[in-house]
Order: sequence, then structure tokens, then C-alpha cells
Amino acid sequence: MNCNELKSLVQEYVTRELTPEDRHRVDTHVMDCQDCRRELALMSAVVSGLDSQPASEPPAGFAARVMAGLPRQRELVLSPWWSLAAAPVLGVLAYLFRAPLLESVLRLAGRTGIGQVSVTELGLAQMAIVPAVVVLLALGVTAAAATYCWRSC
Amino acid sequence: MGREVEATAEESLVRRSAHGDGRAFAVLVNRYKGMVFSTACRLLNDAGRAEDAAQETFIKAYAALPGFRGEAKFSSWLYRICYNSCISMLRKKRPEVELKEAATASVPGPVEEVRSRSIKQAVMDEVVEMPEDYRAMITLYHFNGLSYEEIALTTRKPLGTVKAQIHRARALLKTRLIERVGWEELRKVMWT
Ligand SMILES: [Zn+2]
Repeated sequence: MNCNELKSLVQEYVTRELTPEDRHRVDTHVMDCQDCRRELALMSAVVSGLDSQPASEPPAGFAARVMAGLPRQRELVLSPWWSLAAAPVLGVLAYLFRAPLLESVLRLAGRTGIGQVSVTELGLAQMAIVPAVVVLLALGVTAAAATYCWRSC
Repeated sequence: MGREVEATAEESLVRRSAHGDGRAFAVLVNRYKGMVFSTACRLLNDAGRAEDAAQETFIKAYAALPGFRGEAKFSSWLYRICYNSCISMLRKKRPEVELKEAATASVPGPVEEVRSRSIKQAVMDEVVEMPEDYRAMITLYHFNGLSYEEIALTTRKPLGTVKAQIHRARALLKTRLIERVGWEELRKVMWT
């Protein structure tokens, strides 16, 4: 390797883009050539200076200003986790209002001719079916939403 | 392993942000604000306009996130948006006075002063004074860690041009460092 060839490779040497063979050739040359040693040292100084530039922080409140500047319409309102949290709440509500709920379900059933039972004939155990169904429904919605999210993400 | 976990965490932050999760995006803003702002400072040579460009970068990124498919690293994608914001800002208005001020502010004092500072600062002072194209290339490569290919994609320049310009920029930096500091002085700085 001569000095001109070395000068054409000095940057790649410093940025570690050379093949091991070329690296070795450069190493061998600079052992006996002071000019090229100097060239290499200088380029190393430039590159390490460039590589070690610290990032400077933006003025205070920058992130807040960015967040305030974002459009609002893409706000996520419904996540599957919300319906997961809603399931027990809905269950409790359904249990509290089990009588009118059941009554309306039965009235609907009577009107469509599925069956005719009066609320008073039903025991407490059967009336617990309503909240249980509501909870199951909510969980079903959660599962569907979670699956949809997982697939689309 | 640690980096893998970090990458996965970032992937999830990016995905959530794309779905409009503001809190996830805030984490990304805080993670990258320093790099984006510093990149803009280097490209524009003006801290005030750099803040505007950095802000614009994040707002554009948020809007474009649903289209981000993850072919590139999120950081590279973000720096590309930042580069474009800065370039359009440079084209829009070019307040010569401000640029000149930024340049003269960084002109070094006597050699003694340079010696007392680190070589890093001396290199940075020279970068500030480089032609716009060179400054951008050098910043994207050495500061943002983009590959030659990514820089070509970002700047819409042929790969050969990118490589040649980065080479010329480094060579120019080297020459200017010697001119400014002198080899003997530089050697003292380099080995102290
Ligand atoms: Zn030589």
C-alpha cells in the first residue's frame, strides 16, 4: 500500500467500514509512515469528535407544547380494557335492577310467544341469571374487541 | 436482551401512539425531544427556529404514525421528518442576518482558547460553519446514526452523492481543524 491509497481509505478505516484485509494493510503501512500516521490520527480526532456530540435539551415546557399542539380527534375512547372494567359494574347494576329487567325480558318473551312466566314464580337463584348473562356479554365484547385490536395492531 | 426489551417497549409505544394514545406518544416525545431538537439546531444553526422545527416534527409524526409500518427504525423515520421540516424551513425563509450571527458567534478566539476547550467543541464549531448540505449529511450520519442508504432516502440524493459529500465534509473538517488550530496545537489537544 502506498500513501495515496492509504489516504483514500483513511475515512473507512476510522469508521470501521474496511474489510479485515484492508485494515491490516493500513495498520502495516502506518507502522513505517509518519505522514500517514498523522493523517490517521487527525481523521480519528475528527470522527470521534463528530460521534461524541451530546444532544442538547430543548427549552423547558417543550413536550407540553407539543402535546398541546396535537389534533384531538384521534383520541382513543373505547379500549377493550374499559369494557373489561365495565363488566363487573354492569353485573352489579343488573343485579340491583334484576326484577324490572327480568320482567321486561319475560314480557318480550310473552309478546313473541316464546313463553309466559310471571316474575313472582321465579326464585332468587333464577333471577341471578340476569346479571350473570350481562357479565358474560360484557366479557364477550371485551374478548372480541381485544382480538380485533390484536389483529389490527 | 436489554436492547430487545427496549425495542419491544418502543414498538408498543409506537403502536399505541398510532392508535391515538396521547400518553404513549408523550413518552416518545420525551425520549426523542433532545435528539430531534439538537438535529434541528445543527441543521438550522438557530435555536429558536430549531424549536419550531422540532415541534413541527413531532406533530407531523403523530399525524403520520398510522402509516408507519416499521420498515425503518422509529428513530430514523422521525429524523427523516425532522430533516424535511428543517429543509422546508430553510427554503421558506432565509434570514441571512441570523445565520451570520450564528456563524460569527462560533468563531473561535485565539489558539490558547481553543486549546483549553476539547477537540469535540472545536469539531462542532467547524460543523456550524460548513455548507448547509455538508452539515446536514454529517449530522444525519454521525449524530443521528443513519446509514448511507437511509441518508440517501432522507435527502433524496443518490447513494454515491451521499457518500462523496460525507467524505468531502470530513476531509474539509480535517483541513479546517489544522488551519484553525495548527498541527502542533492539535496534537497537544489530542493527547491531553
Ligand atoms: Zn504513508
